[in-house]
Amino acid sequence: MENMICEDNVILRIHQLHKHFGSLQVLKGIDLEVHKGEVVAVIGPSGSGKSTMLRCLNRLEIIDGGSIEIKGEFLASENEVGRATYASTAKARELLSCMGMVFQQFNLFPHMTVLENLLEAPIQVKKRNKDEILPEVEELLRKVGLFDKRDAYPSRLSGGQQQRVAIARALAMKPDIMLFDEPTSALDPELTGEVLKTMRALALEHMTMVVVTHEMAFAREAANRVIFMADGNIIEQGAPQPFFAAPKEERTIAFLKNML
Amino acid sequence: MEKLMETVLLMLEGTQITLEIFFITLIMALPLGLMASLARISQLKPLSLLMEFYIWIMRGTPLMLQLLFVYFALPMIGIRLPDIAAALLSFTLNYAAYFAEIFRAGIQSIDRGQYEAAKTLGMTYGQTMRRIVIPQMIRRVLPPISNETINLVKDTSLVYILAMNDLLRVARTIVQREFDMTPFMVAAVFYLAMTFVLTWIFKKLEAHYGKYDM
Repeated sequence: MENMICEDNVILRIHQLHKHFGSLQVLKGIDLEVHKGEVVAVIGPSGSGKSTMLRCLNRLEIIDGGSIEIKGEFLASENEVGRATYASTAKARELLSCMGMVFQQFNLFPHMTVLENLLEAPIQVKKRNKDEILPEVEELLRKVGLFDKRDAYPSRLSGGQQQRVAIARALAMKPDIMLFDEPTSALDPELTGEVLKTMRALALEHMTMVVVTHEMAFAREAANRVIFMADGNIIEQGAPQPFFAAPKEERTIAFLKNML
Repeated sequence: MEKLMETVLLMLEGTQITLEIFFITLIMALPLGLMASLARISQLKPLSLLMEFYIWIMRGTPLMLQLLFVYFALPMIGIRLPDIAAALLSFTLNYAAYFAEIFRAGIQSIDRGQYEAAKTLGMTYGQTMRRIVIPQMIRRVLPPISNETINLVKDTSLVYILAMNDLLRVARTIVQREFDMTPFMVAAVFYLAMTFVLTWIFKKLEAHYGKYDM
């Protein structure tokens, strides 16, 4: 089983994912495979369930039915009656450690400097010592262009800078997959560019990325695959060129018409 | 003038008792309050309910009654505490309950995104609380904690009921003996001095913990 997955390079696989909040069915059976090195852009109207799907992947939301497979192992698997059951806490923690998450609201730790934000998880979670990881972490800060801000508190940074720190913080844990939940939606338009640039650079390094976004230009230029979601379902997906040039489904056409 | 000096010296002795109760109560009630607040927000329903009950009792009855209970009622079931211990026990239990509610409010005011960020970075609940939530909470609760702390300075005067010679009781004794109101004035000045120092300390603490937002 594991070999087979390595062969076809699927790093993330979800099957018949169901999620509801009370009586509201938010995800109605999502199937999705993400390959190693792939950049998947998820687009769709608000309320379509795209953020919820992303949050299900790293267990910020508990799924009701279906399965989630990370690197060939089940985070959540489906039992006989279609209910999802989760792996043990230790196993889940291990599987989730290969995913990094970037939030719409950045969620930096405000009481820590930029550098401390990046050092926190490697030291606390991976029990690395500070001197050992400092060079790596400083390298990450250089990469996102914020080395000179390493001793600043997040409140001193612009939204775009905060989001780049948040990306670096997630990367400091050396994830195999990066999840982005509308990373530019809380930013002023003139600040989205610097964040998208950082994400493009990451894509060029073949980081596996799942990006929920409203940035059509990013989806078109940086993604390998675009997924359109509406009403808790995946309506249409494909490579960006054909997807944007000739969408097939009516809902996709209507949505794209509105966006562009 | 000589008489005033004598009065002040006697009252300084009373202040010792006052300060002793104040500091020991504070040192014990703050950590106890923090633990109680964590228990109160725990997912374990029985633990949470138990804390709710404890806080209700402590906030719902007068501190004076609690003092009398510990001092006079506990000996009936065989627990006899020395004066100072009885006072400290009541004060600590009472103040821990108030602190617990302040801490709980502070913890619950921390944005959910902080927990989510910590979780996606692989931090455990304990690490999240210790490293992320509680340090931010401390800053937010400093003003109400400062309030309670100043209350505590003044509440220490309740120990007169256990015949302990704190600042106010010493003052009253001298007033009744000498028919002179000066000791009351001196006591007021002493209390004001103590709260002045506290206010100053909390101002410094707020500046220290607030350095990260602007």
